Amino acid sequence: MLLTPEIITILTLDFIFAFFGLIAFIISINIVRKWNLNSTTPTQYKLEKQSFLVATIIKYIFIIKLPLFLFFIFTADKLSDIITGAMCAAGVVSSVSFGTSMFVYKILNLYLFGFWLVLNHYDLKKENQPYTRYKFMLYVLGFFLLSIEIYYDISFFTSLDVSKLVSCCGTIFSAASSSSISFIFSINKIYFVYLFYISFTFVLLSYLFKNSIAIFVSNFIYIFIAIISLIMFFGTYIYQLPTHHCPFCLLQKNYYYIGYILYVALYAGTFYGISGAIMSKLEHKPQKFYYNISIIFDIIYALIVSAYPIVYFLRNGVWL
Amino acid sequence: MMIELKNVTKEFKVGTHDKITALKNVNIHIKKGEVVLLKGPSGSGKSTILSLIAALNKPTSGEVIVDGKRVSKMADNFTSLFRREHIGFIFQKFNLIPTLSAKENVIVPLIPSNPDQEKLNNRLRELFGQFSIKSKMNVIVKNLSGGEQQRVAIARALINNPRIIIADEPTANLDEKLSLEFIKIMRNLKNSNSSIVIASHDPLFFNLDFIDRQIDIHNGAII
Amino acid sequence: MKNKFNFLLLDFAISSIFRRGSKNIFIFFVFTLLIFLLSSVLFISNSIKSELDTTLNALPDITVQRLQAGRAINIPTSRINKLLAIDGVKAVIPRVWGYYYFANAGVNFSVVGIDKFDDQYKDLYAKLCDKFDFDKLQDKKSMIVGKGVQKILKSNFYNGYFNFIKPDGSLEKLTIAGVFSDDTKLESNDVILLPMEKARDIFGMSKNEAVDFVIKVPNPVEIPNIAKKIRLLYPDCRVITKEDLSISYQNIFDYKSGLFLALFIISAFTFFMIIYDKASGISSDEKKEIGILKAVGWTIDDVLKEKFYEAFVISFISFITALSLAIFYVYFLNAPLLKNIFIGYSSLKPEFDLPFAFDFQTFAIIFFLTVPIYIAATIIPSWKTASLNADEVMR
Repeated sequence: MLLTPEIITILTLDFIFAFFGLIAFIISINIVRKWNLNSTTPTQYKLEKQSFLVATIIKYIFIIKLPLFLFFIFTADKLSDIITGAMCAAGVVSSVSFGTSMFVYKILNLYLFGFWLVLNHYDLKKENQPYTRYKFMLYVLGFFLLSIEIYYDISFFTSLDVSKLVSCCGTIFSAASSSSISFIFSINKIYFVYLFYISFTFVLLSYLFKNSIAIFVSNFIYIFIAIISLIMFFGTYIYQLPTHHCPFCLLQKNYYYIGYILYVALYAGTFYGISGAIMSKLEHKPQKFYYNISIIFDIIYALIVSAYPIVYFLRNGVWL
Repeated sequence: MMIELKNVTKEFKVGTHDKITALKNVNIHIKKGEVVLLKGPSGSGKSTILSLIAALNKPTSGEVIVDGKRVSKMADNFTSLFRREHIGFIFQKFNLIPTLSAKENVIVPLIPSNPDQEKLNNRLRELFGQFSIKSKMNVIVKNLSGGEQQRVAIARALINNPRIIIADEPTANLDEKLSLEFIKIMRNLKNSNSSIVIASHDPLFFNLDFIDRQIDIHNGAII
Repeated sequence: MKNKFNFLLLDFAISSIFRRGSKNIFIFFVFTLLIFLLSSVLFISNSIKSELDTTLNALPDITVQRLQAGRAINIPTSRINKLLAIDGVKAVIPRVWGYYYFANAGVNFSVVGIDKFDDQYKDLYAKLCDKFDFDKLQDKKSMIVGKGVQKILKSNFYNGYFNFIKPDGSLEKLTIAGVFSDDTKLESNDVILLPMEKARDIFGMSKNEAVDFVIKVPNPVEIPNIAKKIRLLYPDCRVITKEDLSISYQNIFDYKSGLFLALFIISAFTFFMIIYDKASGISSDEKKEIGILKAVGWTIDDVLKEKFYEAFVISFISFITALSLAIFYVYFLNAPLLKNIFIGYSSLKPEFDLPFAFDFQTFAIIFFLTVPIYIAATIIPSWKTASLNADEVMR
C-alpha cells in the first residue's frame, strides 16, 4: 500500500462520505417506509425535519465529490510517476482488474447524486412534495452505489504496487491489446467523426423540438459517442500524434489541462440534458432552463474538440 | 373568507401525565379586511390561536385554512414560505434581534427571497418614514427606546405587505402613551385592506371604533 | 429559477459570525493553526523533494560498489577497462570520496577527490574544475570547500586552512583555495573537494583503488540491461541505477509526509469533535433568534444556507490566513523547528534555504483535508439548529 498525501486525502474524505452517507441512508429507509404527508403524528414531523438533514448531506457529498473526482484523476496521474511502466492515469487505473468499473461507478454516482439534488429542488417547490418518496428510494440506491465506489477506492489504493510493471496507455488503447475496447481500433476512424457529428446533430435537433424523450436519448448517447470519438479521433489531434489515443493524457500539463475543460463541459451538458428531460417528463412541462444550460455545454464541447483537427489542418495543410 | 378555524383542538404535552388542552373545538371565521380582537385572560388560548393561524404550530385535530391554504397540513418548510408571503407578526416582546440594527431587523423576513436592493431601500424608507424613525435606521436595536423598538417590530411585520397582520399582546410591555400610539398605527392599517387579528386583555382595546368584532376566549373555548 | 447570489444572506451570515464573536474566534484560531501545520509540513516536504529531484537528476546513471561480507569495500581500478568494453557504456569514472569526522565540531565532512583528467560525474564539479586548477592545488596543498564547511572551520578557529589527521596519525595541512555555493545546497554544503591523490592520502587508500565507480550511459533505455551485465561480470558488486534511487527517495518522502498526515488526521478528527461540540451548544439567545427567523418566514433550507455561509466564511478566511502564514513561515523564515523532522541524513545540520515549490496539487490536498472536514462537522449541529420549532418565539 502506498501512503502518499493524496491517497490519505481521498480515503479520509471517503470515510466522511461513508459516515454521513450511512446516516442519510438510515433516515431514507425510515422515510420510504413511514412517509405520510397528511399525517399529523410526531413521527411525520420528525421525518419532515430529517429529510432536510438527508438533503444537506447529499448536497455536501455531491459538492465535494465533483472536484474530488478531478483530484482523483489528478492523483492517478501523479502516481504514474512512481508506478513502473505507467505514463498517465490510464496505466495506473488499469493496474487493477476493477479499474474500469471503478471509473464507471464514479461517473455514474456523479450523475445520480446530481440528479437527486435536481429532484429535491423540484420536490420542495410544491406543497404536496410529489417526489419525496421517490427521491429517498433513489438515495437508497445511491447509497449502495456510493458504498461500492468507496470499496473500490480502498481496494484500489491498497493494491497499488510500485514494483509491479503495468502497461502504459499506448498499449491499452491500441488494437493489439486484449482489453474490451480494443476491437474498435480496427474500425476506420473516419466513421467515428461521422458518428460524433450525427450524434451532435441529434442533440441539437432534440433541443430545437424540446422533446424530452429525444433530449434524454440524444444526451445519453452523446456521452458515449463523445468519449469514443475523443479516444479514436479528436484525441489524436490534441496530441498531434496519430497513434496516441489515451483519454487521460490530455489531462496533463503538456496539453494545457484541456481534458478538464472537455470533461466538465461534457458532464455539465449531458447532466443538464438528462435531468432536464426526466423532470420535463415528470412535470409534464419542458424545463427550458435545464435545456438551455445543457445545449450551451454540449456545444462548447463540440466546438473545442472540432477546433483541434481544424486548426491542425489549417496549420499543416494535411489531416493526421 | 380569509381565515377559518374549523373544530380546532390543540393539546400540549400529548401522551404525558400533564397533558394540557389549550383549545377545545374552536371555530373562527375572519373575513378579508376585517379587524378582530381576541379577548380573554392570559393563558386562555389566545396566543395559541394566533400561532395556529400563522402556522407556527399545528392543531392536534381540526383544520386551519388561511387564504384558501390548509396550513394545518403544511410541511414545516412551506409554513415558513406561507408566513413570508402572507403574515406580518407583531410579537408580545417585539422579538427583535437585539444585536442587529433597526434596518437589519426590518429586512430579516425578506433576506431569503433575495430582493432587489433598490426596491428594498425604497420600501425601507417608506416604512421608516411612516413610523418617523428614519434617524434610527442604523442604530443597534438594544440601544433603542421601548417605543422605537415597538415601531421597528411593526415595520418588520409590514415589510412584506402582508394580507394578514397578527399582534400578540402588543401593548403588554408598553406604557399608556405608547399603547395609544400603537392603537393609532393599527387604525391607520385598517385601510390597507389587510385582515388584522389582535390578541389582548388590555382594556384599552375594548370597544374601539375600528375593531369590527371581538371574540371572547375562556379556557380554550369561545364564549 | 433565480441564480443571483444572495449577498444579503451572506451579509447576515457575516454579521452573525461577529455577533457570536468569542465562539467563532476560538474556532478560527484552532482551525487556522491546523491548516497552518498541515500546509507548512507539506510545503517543506515539497521543497525538499524538489531539491532532491535536482540532486537526483545530477546523480550518476549507474553506480558500482564492491561488497565484501555485505559491506562496501574499495574497488580496484583495474576493472575499469572491462566495464568500458560493455556496449552502451560511455565512461567509467572511479570515485574517491568519504566522510571525515571532525571531532571538535562533532560533524562529518564529505571529502571528494577530483581528478581533472577524468570526466566529472557532476556538473558542479566540472564547473569547479574549470574555475580552479586542481594541479596547482596539489602542489600548493590546498582544497575547495562548501560554504557550510567554511563556516564551521571558522568557528573552530581554522582560518583559511585545516589539519587533516591521516590514518597513520600524521597531520596534513591544507589551505582553503576557494569556497563554493550551489543551488543544491542540501547536498553540497558539507563538501570538501581535494585533488584525487590528496584524498587517497587522507583516507589511506592505495593508488590503484577507488571507493566506487560511476558509469555514464547516454541512452537511458539501456541502463537496466547494462546493470544486469555488470552484475554477471562482477558478482561481488552492487549495481545501483538512478531509477532505483529515485523511487526509494520518493517513497521515503511520501512515507514521511504520510506518517505525518496520519497524525494530522487524528488531530483533524479531534478538531471535528471540537467543532461539533461548539456548534451543538446552542445558547438560548441563538435559539430565540432562530425562532424569530423561522417565525418571520425563513425555511429550514434558508437557515441551513445561512449556517453554511457562516461555516464557509470562517473556513475560507482561516484557509487563506493559514496558507499565507505557512508560506511566510516556510519560505521566508525557512521553517524553524519543523524543518528538522525531515532532515535527518546529514550530521552537518546543513543550513539551506527551502526553494519555493508550490503546486496546485498541494493546494488541493490542503483544501480537501481541512475545509470539508470543518463543514462536515457543522452539518448535524446546523441542521439541529435549523429544525428548531418556530413557536420557540412564542415562549
